[in-house]
Amino acid sequence: MSVSSITCKRLTLLSISAVFIQLIGLSLFVFGFFPVKLALSGVSGPESYRAPACDSNHNHTHTHTSLPPPQLRSLYQDLSGIPPSFDRLIFMVIDGLPAEFVLGKDGKPPRKAFMEAMPYTQSLLANGMAIGYHAKAAPPTVTMPRLKAMVSGAVGGFLDVAFNFNTQALLDDNLLGQFLSIGWKMVMLGDETWLKLFPGLFTRQDGVSSFFVKDTVQVDQNVSRHLGDELSRDDWNLLILHYLGLDHVGHIGGRNSVLMAPKLVEMDQIVKMIHTSIIQTQESDQGNTLLVVVSDHGMTESGNHGGSSFEETDSLALFIGLRNHVSDYASATNNTAYQVDIAPTLALLFGVPIPKNNIGVLISETFDSLKDDHRLRALELNSWQLLRLLQAHSSGLSCGNIPYNGFSDSKTTGTTACNGSTEKMLCCLYMKAAVLHNSWKSKQVSESDRWEVYSSTFAAYHKFLKTASEWLSSRATDKPVNLLASGVAAMLLSCLIFLSLILRMCREVSLVEKQHLSELGSNSQRWHLDETFVLGVIFILVVSMTSSSMVEEEHYIWHFMASTLYLVLLRKTAQLLPAGSRVFRGQNIMSSVFVLLISGRILRGWHQGGVNWTYLPDISKWLEQGGNDLVKAVQLVSGVMAICVGLYALSFFGSKKIIVQVVGINFCIAGLLVLQYVMRYQDNTFVPSSDGATLLAQIIYAILGSATVGTVVVIPWLIPIHLSDMGSSHNIYLSTLVPSDIKEKSPLMEIRDSLYVIGWSYILCWCLLQLLLQQPINSMPILLLLVQIMTSMLYFSYSRLHHKEWVEVSALCFLGMAGHFALGNSNTLATIDVAGAFIGISSHSTLLSGILMFSITYASPMLALLSMVVYMSVKSYLVVPQNVDSGHLLKTMLGFPCLVPLGINSILLTAYTIVLLLMRNHLFVWSVFSPKYLYVCATTVCIYIGVTIVAATGIYAYLVLVMRKMKRFSIFNH
Amino acid sequence: MEGALVNALEAIALGAPVGIHGNKLAAFEFCQTSFVLSYYILLLFYLAYWQFVPAASVYGSSWEDWRRIFAHTNFVSAKWICLPVHGAVIGAWFGAWPMPLDWERPWQEWPICVSYGALAEYLIGMVASLGFVLIRGRQHHQKGD
Repeated sequence: MSVSSITCKRLTLLSISAVFIQLIGLSLFVFGFFPVKLALSGVSGPESYRAPACDSNHNHTHTHTSLPPPQLRSLYQDLSGIPPSFDRLIFMVIDGLPAEFVLGKDGKPPRKAFMEAMPYTQSLLANGMAIGYHAKAAPPTVTMPRLKAMVSGAVGGFLDVAFNFNTQALLDDNLLGQFLSIGWKMVMLGDETWLKLFPGLFTRQDGVSSFFVKDTVQVDQNVSRHLGDELSRDDWNLLILHYLGLDHVGHIGGRNSVLMAPKLVEMDQIVKMIHTSIIQTQESDQGNTLLVVVSDHGMTESGNHGGSSFEETDSLALFIGLRNHVSDYASATNNTAYQVDIAPTLALLFGVPIPKNNIGVLISETFDSLKDDHRLRALELNSWQLLRLLQAHSSGLSCGNIPYNGFSDSKTTGTTACNGSTEKMLCCLYMKAAVLHNSWKSKQVSESDRWEVYSSTFAAYHKFLKTASEWLSSRATDKPVNLLASGVAAMLLSCLIFLSLILRMCREVSLVEKQHLSELGSNSQRWHLDETFVLGVIFILVVSMTSSSMVEEEHYIWHFMASTLYLVLLRKTAQLLPAGSRVFRGQNIMSSVFVLLISGRILRGWHQGGVNWTYLPDISKWLEQGGNDLVKAVQLVSGVMAICVGLYALSFFGSKKIIVQVVGINFCIAGLLVLQYVMRYQDNTFVPSSDGATLLAQIIYAILGSATVGTVVVIPWLIPIHLSDMGSSHNIYLSTLVPSDIKEKSPLMEIRDSLYVIGWSYILCWCLLQLLLQQPINSMPILLLLVQIMTSMLYFSYSRLHHKEWVEVSALCFLGMAGHFALGNSNTLATIDVAGAFIGISSHSTLLSGILMFSITYASPMLALLSMVVYMSVKSYLVVPQNVDSGHLLKTMLGFPCLVPLGINSILLTAYTIVLLLMRNHLFVWSVFSPKYLYVCATTVCIYIGVTIVAATGIYAYLVLVMRKMKRFSIFNH
Repeated sequence: MEGALVNALEAIALGAPVGIHGNKLAAFEFCQTSFVLSYYILLLFYLAYWQFVPAASVYGSSWEDWRRIFAHTNFVSAKWICLPVHGAVIGAWFGAWPMPLDWERPWQEWPICVSYGALAEYLIGMVASLGFVLIRGRQHHQKGD
């Protein structure tokens, strides 16, 4: 036909290579952009009690770690000069407890129910026996990175989230390692994450799994059952308790769950039990024990965590048993610190070196009971450690400009203001503090000035520590420019390849179309609102990515765009309907757009997503207020309706009903099993998942999987072969464009039929799977999405040549993305549904639960992609086979449904990569833009998977049918 | 006034809040492009310019007429007369964009910026239309000479 025609083989090769180029570019960029934690290797030893070395960086490598533990312990004590205040430490972690529950917020006490739930803790705070901190945790607020931060004082890389389910031993310098080196015996009871972080470190241990999120009782009893025994023993120095129950309560019912107050009562009783036993040991002079109650992160109103909102980062640090008494309740509760501050504080209190990569600052109130020189010494040690870290990070911070022994000019240095570059300022601040400290130590000052010098030294140290800590935590790593540039270039290249391929396909199609339209005598070239709008949507999406609020509230954009697109389609349809026709078809096609609009509107109102306005009422909250029964009723109704819709769609299939009946019965059985699962096991969400539920879920997986795979494999072999076009004349999607002689040779009809059945079995399988996995409240949106998909298919089958094919495919993609947000997803990591990821899994498997989590999160885009198979069948009348052999049919059929999603995604991915690069110094880069980037990457993966399935199905069906047709044709001719 | 219903439905489909939840809820809803203002402008135009059809109320249940109203807003022989109407709709659509931004300005509240957008585009359309009228008029005049 035309010279620019591109062969099927070349098209495939080009697209596959573009996908690979994109993958390579993406991985290059991700590894370049996301910081691999900047860490000093090695472990702090006795050298941390000396001032940072001046000349060469680390030349005294003779380590003392070879010393036996007791000697090392006394060496540390001699060097530090601070008498240890405590002998033993009980480190109690309450997973997910927001500090607000214990300490209140903004000077106000916590809610009455929570106050009453924790009488003992509150009395400790009121009596000045305890001091509590809002310890701000760094995002990502998930357990493992937070535990690492608490024991090592370092903030991990962003990608730690990705490895949260794949815990590995913590090899960096950390508190527990330090304690081990001075011969401490440690006991751990609770979350087995600790065991994965520190394998073989504990003398005794009882790990509980954080795996069964729905278990809120057993998980804590397993910890507490050993507590009495452990408290009566004296062979340990460190006891770690990690209670998971409260986090599970949050995941199930949110902050205001009915189980929250009883859980707090339980925690309070444990605190009481421990504290009573501490007092007893103290009275019998068996040593001092410090109880530190911390939480690893907070939780949002709905009980999720992972992001960086105040609710999620507001974790607790509560010190019980310090010897100083805090005067009043307000000063015991209204304090803030950082979570990383726990590490240096504990290290200094217990006389071990501060871990090498710590960026925290000691919490000064905990040292109030010490003498002045000890307190300054503690500050000095912390400063030295931070200074070492600073020196490692910044070459500009050389020792040459730190004359820390020249206290002769103390008066002048002490008064000059520090400014200039950050490095210089840090140097100057440190110098000031050091000089003041030296002058205080040298006892040159008179007794009257002594307090003044002390307080200014104290202030100077604090200023240096705070500045250095902030600088270190905010400092982005040096990004490898080559890696980033080549990554972006590769992505741009693949984006260009995709776009040029799509453009080429468009040109070809329009050429063919012109031929036909000239035959039909209709006008072709005019301004198309729908095409302009689709391009406009992509442009708007790219532009809106540069605004942090638009990224946070992205769901509004998708819903707005989707509904505007429906209106545009409606208008276009109305325009194209022949004037004066009141035919059934016209109303039908209009009403299908109305169904799209209405269901889109309901979907939009289902979840009030995003970040800033989640508290506004929406349908899901309204239903949840109605109680469990209402939600379950809605769930059952939508389950039944979904099955009905699927069967109805299958019933459109024209020839050989028996195949469809078998397929339909298969899915009916699966659907009924899903309904049974819903009835029996989702009844009470507080019941720990039982074996029966797991078994049933596994049976459902097996049936769905085998039914779908079976359908895909068998249908092309069983579909009846038309030797003339008589049999299919009653099909609703029949067209007469194809000349009959070609129809006999090319398997067009058969492909259409088989793809229709296969496509619907994909869609049904996916929907039933989602009905099983999604939260109960999301079952209705799944149904609505299914209805939307079906209506779009009807609309597209009616609309014939009114829209360009790429417009329709992108409309389906937009529909998928709008649905993604309608299912309650957002661009923060907190909305990922973790609970559903363990349905039907009997043992812990990172891979399986990861796959389930992915399929829950990307339910809607995947559904839209799977519906492309049906779309191909619905649209295949456009395929006008010129010659049978060239693969032209395959190309025309598969081209747009595969290339357009890839193309749109490559534009968005490339644009967002560039945006992220530009925003690297933005305040919200880690809290807003980076999580969004993870989502963009995951969407890319989702598109790859979906497109692969679509392409593989199309090619398989084509090959099988061509083979059968040829065989039949030759038999027929003989 | 059936036309009002159509436009209200249109606005709801785009995300305008259903029912009276008070202004607070409506305040930050993003995609609720209000066609309230633009509708009245439209209606005025229908009444003012579309003289060969008596009034909007005549249509009643006529499916065909409604289809034509929706599909062919350029129903008048002179296209430029409809510019302000188109402008109002497009302006209302664009006016919805600043709503989700976290600037916390009072005018971001629903439906203020939408109405402003509609009004602004309407005025632009008016000016453009006036310009067309003048140019056309002059051409006509010259032709007449």
